[in-house]
Amino acid sequence: MTNAEPLVRCEQVARTYGSGRSAVVALHGLSCEIGAGEQIAIMGPSGSGKSTLLHLIAGLDTPTAGTVSWPALGERATLRPGPIALVLQGPSLLPPLDVTENVALPLVLGGVDPSEATERARDALDRFDLLGVGDKLPEELSGGQAQRVAIARALAQRPQLLLADEPTGQLDHTTGAVVIDVLLEAAAALGAALVISTHDPDIGERLVRRWTVSDGRLTVPADPDAAEAESCSA
Amino acid sequence: MLGLTWVRGAITRRFGRFLATAGGVAIAVALLASIGTFLAGSKATMTRRAVQNVSVDWQVEAQPGADPAKVLAGVSSRTTSALPVEFAKTPGLQATTGASTQSTGPGVVVGLPVSYSRTFPGVIRNLVGAPLGVLIAQQTAANLHVAPGDTVMIGRAGLAPTRVRIDGVVDVPQADSFFQKVGAPIGAQAHAPPDNVVFLPAATWHARFDRLAASRPDQVTMQVHARLSHALPGDPAAAYTRVTGSARSLEVLLAGAGLVGDNLGSTLAAARSDGLYAQVVFLFLGVPGAVLAGLLTAAVAASGADRRRREQALLRTRGATTTTLVRLSLLEAAVVGAIGALVGLGAAALVGTWAFGTASFGATTGAAIVWAVSAAAVGFGIAGLAVAVPAWRDARALTVVGARRVVGRARAPRWLRFGLDLLLLAGSALVFRLTSRNGYQLVLAPEGTPAISVSYWALAGPALLWSGAGLLAWRVAYLVLGSGRSFARRLARPFSGRLASTVGATMRRQRRLLAGALVLVALTTAFAASTAVFNSTYRAQAEIDARLTNGNDVTVTEPPGSNVGPAASAKLAAVAGVKSVEPLQHRYAYVGADLQDMFGVRTSTIVGATKLQDAYFKGGTARALMARLGREPNGVLVSAETVKDFQLQPGDTLRLRLQNGRTKQLTEVPFRYIGVATEFPTAPRDSFMLANASYIAQKTGSDAVGAFLIDTGGSSPAAVAANIRRQVGTTASVTDISKTRKLIGTSLTAVDLSGLTRVELGFALALAAAATGLVLALGFAERRRTFAIATALGAKPRQLGGFVWSEAAFVTAGGLAAGALTGWVLAEMLVKVLTGVFDPPPAALSVPWGYLAVVAGVAIAAVLVAGMMTIRRAQRAPVTVLRDL
Repeated sequence: MTNAEPLVRCEQVARTYGSGRSAVVALHGLSCEIGAGEQIAIMGPSGSGKSTLLHLIAGLDTPTAGTVSWPALGERATLRPGPIALVLQGPSLLPPLDVTENVALPLVLGGVDPSEATERARDALDRFDLLGVGDKLPEELSGGQAQRVAIARALAQRPQLLLADEPTGQLDHTTGAVVIDVLLEAAAALGAALVISTHDPDIGERLVRRWTVSDGRLTVPADPDAAEAESCSA
Repeated sequence: MLGLTWVRGAITRRFGRFLATAGGVAIAVALLASIGTFLAGSKATMTRRAVQNVSVDWQVEAQPGADPAKVLAGVSSRTTSALPVEFAKTPGLQATTGASTQSTGPGVVVGLPVSYSRTFPGVIRNLVGAPLGVLIAQQTAANLHVAPGDTVMIGRAGLAPTRVRIDGVVDVPQADSFFQKVGAPIGAQAHAPPDNVVFLPAATWHARFDRLAASRPDQVTMQVHARLSHALPGDPAAAYTRVTGSARSLEVLLAGAGLVGDNLGSTLAAARSDGLYAQVVFLFLGVPGAVLAGLLTAAVAASGADRRRREQALLRTRGATTTTLVRLSLLEAAVVGAIGALVGLGAAALVGTWAFGTASFGATTGAAIVWAVSAAAVGFGIAGLAVAVPAWRDARALTVVGARRVVGRARAPRWLRFGLDLLLLAGSALVFRLTSRNGYQLVLAPEGTPAISVSYWALAGPALLWSGAGLLAWRVAYLVLGSGRSFARRLARPFSGRLASTVGATMRRQRRLLAGALVLVALTTAFAASTAVFNSTYRAQAEIDARLTNGNDVTVTEPPGSNVGPAASAKLAAVAGVKSVEPLQHRYAYVGADLQDMFGVRTSTIVGATKLQDAYFKGGTARALMARLGREPNGVLVSAETVKDFQLQPGDTLRLRLQNGRTKQLTEVPFRYIGVATEFPTAPRDSFMLANASYIAQKTGSDAVGAFLIDTGGSSPAAVAANIRRQVGTTASVTDISKTRKLIGTSLTAVDLSGLTRVELGFALALAAAATGLVLALGFAERRRTFAIATALGAKPRQLGGFVWSEAAFVTAGGLAAGALTGWVLAEMLVKVLTGVFDPPPAALSVPWGYLAVVAGVAIAAVLVAGMMTIRRAQRAPVTVLRDL
């Protein structure tokens, strides 16, 4: 593995749900790469396939055709908890666990000693100014707080690739802007690549690169730095 | 339209939960309908058996001075068949066989019409010789040493004896009622039927005794034996009312010319209280099962409460009013109730066919409809309570924020703060204590009165115990999980390792949910355990009852006056199938003026040979008291009644009068009172005495045996009895336990509870599987999103297993332990409260370990399946779950 190797490589990846007449093609064969430290917004309307692509990148789902590999990150089985952290769409905190326990959970799942995991969770919460809600249950949080806790949980893992699926989807504009600030700052601080799926153009504007998914097809515009055009659509 | 769409959506989108809810309703309906079938069927069986057991329904005795012809006409007008029967007293019988002449004491000569044995087939049983003509009772034949063809002289008061030639030897199985003193109260009945009986054809009787009737009318009586229509109501109480009413009506018609000896009414009187006991058993054993099925249905429905709240919130945002939400839930409840009721009734019909041999829910069409409609109504009620009421409650208090609530901070419910569980348990103990004061007399059926009553109050004891124990289990589970982080962590550690702290926290916060699931497992286990123990104890006691009545597997009873000694045991022991033979002396002894049965036992062997129970004695175990009788040969065990009547103290001397074997005169024999015997094989239920056989033999000069109690050691008692009959001929009567089981009358132990047992134990297994596997599976299913999130965060199957197995183990182990304890206490209480069902009352519970192991096995297997399915599903498609929910 060298520094030039991408974190994620998708080659002719397709995902179809169901079979026969009722089959729904969520993604047509697409290819793309995500490099270290990149900031990418995956744009597109609801149902276009953004979440599916993110799940495939996270190793949470498997493609029905093509391959997804993680050259700089390792095998699928070791991605989570580990180098990839995922902020899910909608409420994603475990209801019976308090905020600190929620943030510590992926660390414990990854084999970190429970007391150390709690310490790291507190650090992460502190960074987001959430230490005061550490012993609250998810249902006692506002939507914005819950989403910030979910981001804190992702960052507590110190990932190399942070994926956020519609992280502002259920938030008002102001709160959403704060959440994006937090994500960008945290990713920069960690030196992690950040991929956010969103249908909000304002959020897209804040990230360096913007990919577009429409009807399961991905369009990757020319990299402004490399000044070379690249099309990943099938 | 919206309603149909809603119901269709509920069925297709929540098919599993919908099916499980309807299944819970179906179990309750099927259980109630099945038990209704049993109840109706067993009551009808009791009536039928009571009727079958009576050979002569009525014995109407013509009163002195009455015209027998008019009495006969009167009885004939009210019955299906009636025949006159004449009775004449004889001062004695005499026969000369070979070189010896034998004489007997007083006896009875009965005149029977030729058609008597055809009309009343069960009264006289032909043993040897011709079935008609001059017949002599077996015991009399043995006393006189006569056989068919021999001649017997019949003494007549004030007249010369008359000579008859014996055609056959017979037995009178129901001699007590046949020779009853009509119209006399029970206490004034003769102690035993006459020893010496000769039956003559009516014409012969008239030829020999009409002169006696004219000269000594006090020496003869005339009865009309009658058979009634047996088209009686199935319920023994209703049948009793009809029969006794008819008897009183006949007496009015006869205007004092005849008194009715109502054998059928007396038998139905016993059966009617058994009928009520069957009803009480139904209430004790059946209702908890139905309540449990209702609770399970509610639990299944409640496991989808979060989703329902979310759906209601969505409907609200689209303009649905509270009324609309309630209507939709009522419609859903109605569909659940209808499907559950239909499936339940269908299942009950199948169960009825399999267990009771009938698919009907009642003895009559009307009863069947009542049972089916009642069971279905209960099903609809459960569906309404489980589905509609929570939905209505939520709809009234619904906010969108509230709909998102999944767990919440566990707050102690109000009943827990008020100690309702402890109050219920205290109430149970109080009611039980009050019930015990009247000796657990649940069914009160005073003799001769048509009214009978059940003390349903006694039901409150077990009911309060059941509910109190359930709530106490809830309290303990809730407090244990909430007692601190470390305790919950320790509980979870064996299954979750490093995750113990997280899993413990999850369990602690969901302690209300887990406590509820644990209570369901506990109540189901308690139901299964108490039912199984009760049924097992009942079966054991029924067997003991049959053994007590018959004496042992096979009993050879020598006729009174026989001189067969214990040495005859050897001959019997040589018969094929006989394992051991125990000789038992049977004498009569006067205690003051009271004549009682006295049994002489071989103290060294009697305990093992007859499986004597400690419950038969007071003042020591069976083994200890028999050993004491061996050490102190003049010891005697008497009845509690005798102790009370004669104010006996241990060590007191009792001077009894027994017949001397040589002189036939009564001899005074001193005994020392050492203990109380309440039951003994072949002994009567009231008063009797037990003493050392060697001592009795020494003091009376006779070692004559009354009965040989034979252990067949597993060989067929009927086959061994047949072998023995071939050997002993008519010199002794041979009975076997298989016949006795059927003959112990209309007592409830004769009613076959095995069908009910199969049904209840089957339902208990189904409930155990549902309470563990289904409830856990649905609870886990409701948290699919939680597991999917954990999987998305990187949880491996083993780690998900930590969550699943910790909860499952806590609920299952805690529930089984609490249930076993509750079941044991409940079974003790049930057996005590239902003492009247047991005859004799059991000394200890009979525990069916095999069945209980199966219940535990089924519960654990259901949990394993539910847990593994949950883990597999969470792993397989977390993305789908996250997208769908």
